[in-house]
Amino acid sequence: MTYGHLHSIDLENFRSIRGHVHAPLDAKVVLVHGENGAGKTSLLSAIELALTGQIDALRRADPNYEMQLLHKRKTNGYAEINVSLDHDLARYRADLTEQTISFEERLPVELTEFFVERAYLPQSLLGQLLQIYQEAGSDVDSPLARFVSNLLGLDRLDALEIGLSPLQDLRNVRRVINRWSIVENEISRLKTIIQDQFRTKEPIAEDLAAKRSNLVAIYAALEVEHDEKLPEEAAPTPDEIRIEDENRLAKVTDELRLLASIRRDISDSLDSDTHDIEVKLAEHVENTEEALRIWREAHEDIASDVRLRVEAIFPNVDFATDLVAFRNEAKRLLSAEQNQLNNRVQRARQEAKQLTDAREQLEVANAQLRTIDKEVSAIASNAGALSTIFAEISNFIVDDNCPVCGRDYAELEEGSLREHVHNRALALSSSAERLILLGRSRNDHKDSIDRLVQTIDGLESSQVHMEVLARMDRRAGAITLTLRLLEEVGPRLEDGQQLIEANVAAQRALANVRLRSSRRLAIRENLNDLARSAEISYEGQSDTIEALASRIELTLTKTRDHTSKRVRSWAEARGIIHDIRNSKERISVIDSTIAEYEFQLKDYESALQRGKNLRTEGRRIRNAVDEVRSAIIRREFNDRLNKLWRDLFLRLAPSEEFVPAFRIPQSETRRLQPKLYTPHRDLGDEGAGGTPGAMLSAGNLNTAALTLFVALHLSVSVQLPWLILDDPVQSMDDIHIAHFSSLLRTLSKEHARQVIIAVHDRQLFEYLRLELSPAFADDSLITLELTRSSIRDTQCISNRYSFQEETALRIA
Amino acid sequence: MSTSPLVSAIAKRLRAAGYSDVATPFRVASVSFDFTRVMRGRDGRAHDLVIVIDTATGEMGDTDSVQVRRRIETLSRALDVVGSRLVLTVVLAGASTANDIEALSETCRVLVVEPIGVGLDGVPKDKLARQQLDDRIRLLLPLEIPPRDEGLDVEPAADEALKTKLPNTIDKNFLQVLLNSSRHGEDAVEREMRRVFDDRMKIEDVS
Repeated sequence: MTYGHLHSIDLENFRSIRGHVHAPLDAKVVLVHGENGAGKTSLLSAIELALTGQIDALRRADPNYEMQLLHKRKTNGYAEINVSLDHDLARYRADLTEQTISFEERLPVELTEFFVERAYLPQSLLGQLLQIYQEAGSDVDSPLARFVSNLLGLDRLDALEIGLSPLQDLRNVRRVINRWSIVENEISRLKTIIQDQFRTKEPIAEDLAAKRSNLVAIYAALEVEHDEKLPEEAAPTPDEIRIEDENRLAKVTDELRLLASIRRDISDSLDSDTHDIEVKLAEHVENTEEALRIWREAHEDIASDVRLRVEAIFPNVDFATDLVAFRNEAKRLLSAEQNQLNNRVQRARQEAKQLTDAREQLEVANAQLRTIDKEVSAIASNAGALSTIFAEISNFIVDDNCPVCGRDYAELEEGSLREHVHNRALALSSSAERLILLGRSRNDHKDSIDRLVQTIDGLESSQVHMEVLARMDRRAGAITLTLRLLEEVGPRLEDGQQLIEANVAAQRALANVRLRSSRRLAIRENLNDLARSAEISYEGQSDTIEALASRIELTLTKTRDHTSKRVRSWAEARGIIHDIRNSKERISVIDSTIAEYEFQLKDYESALQRGKNLRTEGRRIRNAVDEVRSAIIRREFNDRLNKLWRDLFLRLAPSEEFVPAFRIPQSETRRLQPKLYTPHRDLGDEGAGGTPGAMLSAGNLNTAALTLFVALHLSVSVQLPWLILDDPVQSMDDIHIAHFSSLLRTLSKEHARQVIIAVHDRQLFEYLRLELSPAFADDSLITLELTRSSIRDTQCISNRYSFQEETALRIA
Repeated sequence: MSTSPLVSAIAKRLRAAGYSDVATPFRVASVSFDFTRVMRGRDGRAHDLVIVIDTATGEMGDTDSVQVRRRIETLSRALDVVGSRLVLTVVLAGASTANDIEALSETCRVLVVEPIGVGLDGVPKDKLARQQLDDRIRLLLPLEIPPRDEGLDVEPAADEALKTKLPNTIDKNFLQVLLNSSRHGEDAVEREMRRVFDDRMKIEDVS
């Protein structure tokens, strides 16, 4: 799509224009003239409104400017503009009422941008331009920065950056975005609730677990197969077992009832005496049996041991079985035998000893006899003669020299020789005496030996053999032992005999009693049947039917108790299962509550997540804003712009030595901090002056502003070929005006821009009308003159000028 | 015909810019006018009548500012009389007083070309001289828009640039809302941002 000229505009009750105004615009240049307040600005701003849906300059002054657009005291109005578009006309219209403003169509956004930034220079913007030079500041809030920002759309980027800045800090996010805090609070509230629910659920779950373990314990006691984790789900097996238990209980109860009736029969069938007797007798039998059994356990061994011993001692004697009789007989026999044996042994011993003694005496006597014989033989028979000789010799002995041999006796140092001979003579005389005594003793001993030999012979003939003696000794020992045992056992044997007799007597008595009742047998049969059916073992005929009945009753009662306990356990289990179901139900209610809250929580969390995502996006946009702005600044403020600006400026102020220029940003520029300076026209940066405000006159400052706008318009590719200028020459001097009109002509005729310019100065209007008048066949100019007064509607008189061949100049 | 190098240089430059010489003397409303050098544009500049005055060495009274002014005023009046749309531009080649220029400016557009380095053949001696010459008569020359840098044929507006800068995955609705509101300043951006947040963070109807 290529936009051509603005074609025409229709206005009604728009701002200062009252009534309807039609203005053709289909010319290369449109000159609008009118006194101040006649509606020039209204007409130009109507173009902006109809095309873009807004009036940027007014919006800056008053955000609610839209309510001021309708002419005072009018109820509706409109602004409609036709634009040639690809050989056709496009219509843009804004309808106004007191309250609303509506549009049929608008320029695309990017064209709107272009229009606002580079095609339309409203007076306010120019005013801003002029302000630029009065303030030398180059910070972000300086008028120049604001103006350039505005022109380049950087103010939008700034707005984006500042507007999005709360997103940087979460605290600001919470402060600025209400819902963020709401959602965050709601999330924390829901989390608390969910936690509470979990806390509520916990004891129930614990209780449930406890109940389950109870149930498991009960089932274990009942020996029922079950799931350890979900015991309550153990059906149907437990049910079967339970029914079995209940049936068993019913059966046992029936059996007990039957037993009760049998017992009634028993009590009916017997008088109580007989019955009691039988009971007592049976009891007695039992007692005696028991006593006997106890006695036997304690004494049977020793009793039979004694009996065996006795029987061994007297193998030929037949002893009675009666224990007491046995004892007496045995005692008597044993005592007699013991006496006899003792006597015999004693005598045999005495004789043996006598014999030994005699033999010893004999031995001694023989020895003495032999000694006497020996001494007798030793004593010589010449002892008497020799003694006489010695007595004579002794008379010859004077000293120790032997008169017989001459030897000196003194050499022996054994006394004197005399004494020695004397002693020898004495000795020889005593031996004779001794011989007589010996003879006498020999006779005595001979007699004694004879007597002893006689005694020994007698004793040897009556001597008992040692084996026999030993046998007798053993027998005597056994008897003594047996007797002692018998003596010990005696009382027990008496007791045993008594017990046996008592038992026998008791059994006899019982049998007698039992024989008396045949009916009781029948009853017993019944009881036996019952016992069988109740699977009770019934050994021991000694039981009375009462005892049997009692025993059956005991068993049945035990069974009943056991079974009823089981049945109670079943009931308890059912109760627990019921409780478990309740608990589970409660848990499921809580769970579903939790689920519900968690569902809500999820919603909120996902909302928060969306918020976070959006925040990320916002921050990303904000970061991109920085980069884009930096790129735009670098792109726009380049040598090319300066060159263009210089060209335009010098067209309007050819004699100005200093030209305004932007310092080219060297580094990455985040925020726009444009710096203006004035390089020298000829010397460039070498002769650069200060800021334009310091270096340029007021008129040249205006020129600088105006040319900057045009330079910016020209520096980008043309999207809308329109330059709409609202009274841009208010403070220009004549020279500048002449130059300016030339520039407009250049733009219009060489660069195909449709120039629409409003001026209030009549002279200037006339001048421009001349200067901009069609210069070639296809050229065109329209002038619009707006007039208004308080009593009538606005009038717009349009004049179309077409090309006329210039004939004034003639070659002379 | 003046042989002043400066005048020659101006004439050459103008001829290069599409102007053509107007033979002198010429007549307007049966009044004859003769100037050192007269040139006229064509096409869009067809109404431009350029009169070069050689204030230094000129003949025909060019050196006398009073005479010059009188002749220009006469020409101007003559053109008015015949209802011509021709626009007069006087180029003063050589030194001139400010008073003279101001006085002339009341009747026509005045450009002053002070003496600059021009060879005898009317060719500026160097680049600086050439620029100086152009600068002085720039108004008469075609406006040349310097060629754009490579790759900058289309310069997207700020918002377009922003869109391009951001990854494709960016939340386009959010971005558009922000871009739209950015026209109305930072408060509007914040307000719209808040609105989008509030809207986006709404809890979906559970039922």
